[in-house]
Amino acid sequence: MLIMKNISKVFQTADIQTHALRDFNLTVNEGDFVSVTGPSGSGKTTFLNIAGLLETYTSGEFTLDGENIGQLNDNGRSRMRNHKIGFIFQSFNLIPDLNLFDNVDVPLRYRGFNAKERKRRIEENLERVGLASRMKHLPSQLSGGQQQRVAIARALATDPRFLLADEPTGNLDSEMAQSVMSLLEDINKQGTTIVMVTHDAQLAQRSPRTIQVMDGRVSELNLHLATDNQQAIA
Amino acid sequence: MLETGLIIRALMRNKIGALLIALQIALTMTIIVNAIFMIQDRQSQMLRVSGVDEENTFYLTNTIFGQDYNIQAALQTDLNTLRKMPGVVDAIQINAIPLSGGGWSSGVQTEAGEDKDSIGTAIYMVDDHAINTLGLELIAGENFSATDIQWRKSGQSTWPDKVIVTKALALSLFPDDWQSALGKTVFISQNQTIQIIGILKQLQAPWNGWDGVERSMLVPFQMESKGSRLFIRTEPGKRDQLMPLVEKTLAENDKGRIIGRLRSMEETRERSYQRHNATNKILTTVVITLTIITGFGIVGLAIFSINRRTKQIGTRRALGATRWQIMRYFMVENLLISVVGILIGCVGAVSLNMWLVKTFNLAPINIELILFGVTTLLIVGQLAVLYPARKASLISPATATRTV
Repeated sequence: MLIMKNISKVFQTADIQTHALRDFNLTVNEGDFVSVTGPSGSGKTTFLNIAGLLETYTSGEFTLDGENIGQLNDNGRSRMRNHKIGFIFQSFNLIPDLNLFDNVDVPLRYRGFNAKERKRRIEENLERVGLASRMKHLPSQLSGGQQQRVAIARALATDPRFLLADEPTGNLDSEMAQSVMSLLEDINKQGTTIVMVTHDAQLAQRSPRTIQVMDGRVSELNLHLATDNQQAIA
Repeated sequence: MLETGLIIRALMRNKIGALLIALQIALTMTIIVNAIFMIQDRQSQMLRVSGVDEENTFYLTNTIFGQDYNIQAALQTDLNTLRKMPGVVDAIQINAIPLSGGGWSSGVQTEAGEDKDSIGTAIYMVDDHAINTLGLELIAGENFSATDIQWRKSGQSTWPDKVIVTKALALSLFPDDWQSALGKTVFISQNQTIQIIGILKQLQAPWNGWDGVERSMLVPFQMESKGSRLFIRTEPGKRDQLMPLVEKTLAENDKGRIIGRLRSMEETRERSYQRHNATNKILTTVVITLTIITGFGIVGLAIFSINRRTKQIGTRRALGATRWQIMRYFMVENLLISVVGILIGCVGAVSLNMWLVKTFNLAPINIELILFGVTTLLIVGQLAVLYPARKASLISPATATRTV
């Protein structure tokens, strides 16, 4: 699904070179739920940006769903993001001027679906996150947890094969965080591959696989049994 | 796929900035369309031909100061001298100069009597050489003969029997058939009869702003006056060379008068439309400045809007928008704002024009000019938003994951 081999990312300013990722190697298989942890500045977000094709890498090989990302131009990367990747951001990144229906509609329009298909997908996914009755509301009229659910509906509306979550519970209280995490687990059980960047060790423990990033490298790899994790948290 | 619906809904929740720009576009549309209309109106006035061979004609003033001066003999001597000069086509004495701003006018009517309507006309007192000297075209009837010419004393109120009129004056007197004016007897000074013996294609009055500028009449008079004007036509290309020569010849031939104020007809036209030219320059500056200011307003609003929505743009890119789709978003947004502004501006432009028509008796604005305004502002709007839209399209999708 996702294969990164010796990926490096160097940020270059006038006189300083910053190595955000060094020989980063990772394979994520279809249906995986991987948590990525690590201290601030370790390279988690850079990894997420490269994995989500939001940023290019300096060297190495990156294959996503069989496609060599290094060969894609900007339009190709945009198309890949729209077709295969769903994003969930820490601060939800909903468009404040658009209601929930229109927010979920945004990536579907870039995909070029017709109005009927878009409506079906929007309603289905807002229903899935329990917000179908509030589709005419603005994001500002919802709680943080509800906004994140809308963001999840938006991410799922295009039927992505790969869901990237950047601190999805970072701006939520613990109750909301658990609810969002449960929703992600359900989504994963239905076959969507998830990579989640988080600071929250407890949440990371709930995913079957956790990697720790340190100084731009994968420093630790833990495999858990999802059922054990769920029991432990309970 | 265009996001028109989303853009409209987003704009409706953020009306003020967009509305202000739309109003600026509306105001610009209102002003530039009417300003261009006024420029065109003046331009068309300036392009009207006077009927005179302006390239090859000039005139001068002849002011007599000598005592016991034989005005009639002196004038004939002057005209004979001028007409014999190599390069001179013809010369006349004339009481007024077309387009000069100063002249004589009178009312002409088809029925005698104080209570009858009269048509205002410019009066040119000339001899039988006038048509040739001014370069006029006689389209019906005949010229004066030498015997038709009378001497006119200062303060004389009677008129000669025969006149030649312009086609415009003939049409005003006989609206059904201008040619029927030929041979007709009409009335001047309410009850003095004059017969129309010829019709000229065109000869403008001295006043370019007068709505009857095309109505003129040649009267076979030579003025017995101490101040008069001599009008000279030269062969093509010889005017500038002959002007000082004529001045010198006339001055040397007779020391009892002053020859001065030589001016070509081209210079007279230029002076006549000096204010038109100046106004057009000012209006053109206003049009250009307003358009530029509106363009900058659009650039400013778009840049402000983009800076405010950097993360939103990054998010859209993360969700799969291509650079072109981001550019298109801002161009469509601007197009919608422009269309609203232009629609309001169309109403404003027509309303202002209706007021101008009513107040200043101008012709109504034409649809082509409104379409020109619409097209210009749409193009200006799209060009103005091009740079900010391109800037927006270059925002990295990674902006979506930045927390600061």
